[in-house]
Amino acid sequence: MRRLFDWLDARVGFRGGRSVMLDEPLPPGTGWFFTLGSVLLALLAIQILTGAFLTLYYAATPDHAYDSVRFIAEQVTAGRLVRGLHHYGASFLIVVLALHLLRVVLFGSYRPPREVTWLSGIALLLLVLGFALTGYLLPWDQRAYWATVVSINIGRLAPAGGEFVASVLRGGATVGALTLTRWYALHVVFLPALLVLLVVLHLLLMRRQGISGPVRTRPGDPYPFFPRQAARDTAVILLVTVALGAFAWHGAPALEAPADPTDATYIPRPEWYFLGLFQLLKYFPARAEVFGAVTLPTIGLLLLAALPWIDRGRSRAPKDRPIVMAAIVVGALAVVSLTALGWRDRPGSGSPTAWPVRAIGGRQVVLRANCTKCHAEGDVADPLEATAITRSAEWIGGHVSDPEMIAPGLREPPTLRSDREIAAMVSYVRQLARGPYPGFPPQAEQTAGIIARYCIGCHKFDGDGGTDGPDLTHAGRKHDADWFRRWITSPKNVDPKAEMPAFGKRVAPADIDALAQYLVARR
Amino acid sequence: MSQPVDPAPGRRQILAAFVTAVTAGIGASLAAILGAFALKPSRAAASECWVHAGTLDDLTANVPVPHVVSVPRVDGWYRERARQMVFLVWDGNQQVTALSATCSHLGCQVAWNGETKQFKCPCHGGVYDVSGRVVSGPPPRPLESVAAQVRGGNVLVKL
Repeated sequence: MRRLFDWLDARVGFRGGRSVMLDEPLPPGTGWFFTLGSVLLALLAIQILTGAFLTLYYAATPDHAYDSVRFIAEQVTAGRLVRGLHHYGASFLIVVLALHLLRVVLFGSYRPPREVTWLSGIALLLLVLGFALTGYLLPWDQRAYWATVVSINIGRLAPAGGEFVASVLRGGATVGALTLTRWYALHVVFLPALLVLLVVLHLLLMRRQGISGPVRTRPGDPYPFFPRQAARDTAVILLVTVALGAFAWHGAPALEAPADPTDATYIPRPEWYFLGLFQLLKYFPARAEVFGAVTLPTIGLLLLAALPWIDRGRSRAPKDRPIVMAAIVVGALAVVSLTALGWRDRPGSGSPTAWPVRAIGGRQVVLRANCTKCHAEGDVADPLEATAITRSAEWIGGHVSDPEMIAPGLREPPTLRSDREIAAMVSYVRQLARGPYPGFPPQAEQTAGIIARYCIGCHKFDGDGGTDGPDLTHAGRKHDADWFRRWITSPKNVDPKAEMPAFGKRVAPADIDALAQYLVARR
Repeated sequence: MSQPVDPAPGRRQILAAFVTAVTAGIGASLAAILGAFALKPSRAAASECWVHAGTLDDLTANVPVPHVVSVPRVDGWYRERARQMVFLVWDGNQQVTALSATCSHLGCQVAWNGETKQFKCPCHGGVYDVSGRVVSGPPPRPLESVAAQVRGGNVLVKL
């Protein structure tokens, strides 16, 4: 074996390379603070590896992206873990990157001759945020889609060329297939290539200048990186990796419903590391939005990049650099508090598993239209539950109403009466893609069916429905059951000026009674 | 900068062993996870199931009638319906047998010849009798028989 290594070394010189890699002389006093760079390298390696393996199963098209990610999370061996590692790895990377940056600032390590190393580090920070942004869209669920719409709209705010930037980011007229392929290409080809270049540059510069070491030169001789500092690095990497593994073990957050560009009720929220920026925007009126979204962050970034030229004193000790320290503390506090405020300021959305009343009503339509006659195990079409339908609402609507769109060989289109029934069915089918039907009491299902058929076209329930009539989300706060019964049966008998049509002849008295009870319960 | 100074040899060995062990441990864990991820995708393929192939009314006694059957197939996250041809042979009573239309030679689709009362493969001339046995030509095996049953006038086949 030794002879083989000797032979190889004579030709490749790996022992010399190993020495260059491991025997870097470090100034005395280099300690635990200097382990963060290596932790970042380890996390980057994990991201690149898990990301590369995720591409084995991921399909970057709107028709398949969601299903392929769901397949990874639910079907592939260790898929949940790999996706979890990649998902939380991004957050770990950003946290460690911020700590590394703070360490560099605290130790004044950006001072000459390390300005270019510092600038390459800032570029790497932006690049990592670019990865986070582009990767967020890929699962193609509601969260991914709408966060991306917001990000692109922030790009549009830029004073010069904002529209151009937004259209380049979008790829097409709207966020869609072209955006997905574009961001996927950025995420897996262009940004990684840039990342490798910048990391190599950053490391070469670090080696060229040597690491800055403690703020005050300590007495003693320099010592080699291996094994003392390498052991420190390894210990921290072990700690971080175990923590990452613990997060990943629980899997990445569950997917939301498939992306639905027509769903105007969805309230988008970005991933936590963009929450600060998201929150900042809330404090600016529409006219000054560009200041909050673009100008302020840009100024902050430029100031950060210019630190080596702003902070030019002799001493690197924090107590000799009070202004920089104060600015950094204020900056860090601002970022942390904005993020915390953004975290707390969540919209009071319902439980993700809650079923909208329209979807529950849609089930009644599905049953009435005999969809399950063909959509059954072993029949001509897959069961609705098994299809994980991620088609657009238009497609499903077309499928149920247009015989030509039904699978070949089937000549019995469902007999749907109205657009409202189709909308209810679409809502049910799309809700099924999020999870199985939980089941509700028969009376509740019956009432939901009536609402989906007669009420929701004009009235909103939990943000879903028409706007011609009043929002009935909290209907029970205003009237009692008897009032609702009389009103639904014949509104004009209650108020001669009422515009709502009478339902006394269209809906059975027992159903009107159930509907009144349902509305009263909505408080 | 002067020559780097090493820690004591004993300590150096311990630290080096620690670095090597942790690096190998993390590497091996990742390799195991990613290896399993890459090499063992779930076989979520649809297992055989009974699918509707036609009704007794469509069949003529003792004459193989071709029917295209839509069979659910799962390919990863992708669900599709494969169209597969089978010949249904009704005994005139309540019994139906089904034969795959795929030639056992190289997979072409055979056709029923009513005059010769034989199946013939258009590709290489394989000939089978009404029960699927090879009469002549290159096919190495009979036509594959497919489980079939009659339920309430409907013919179901297992594919």
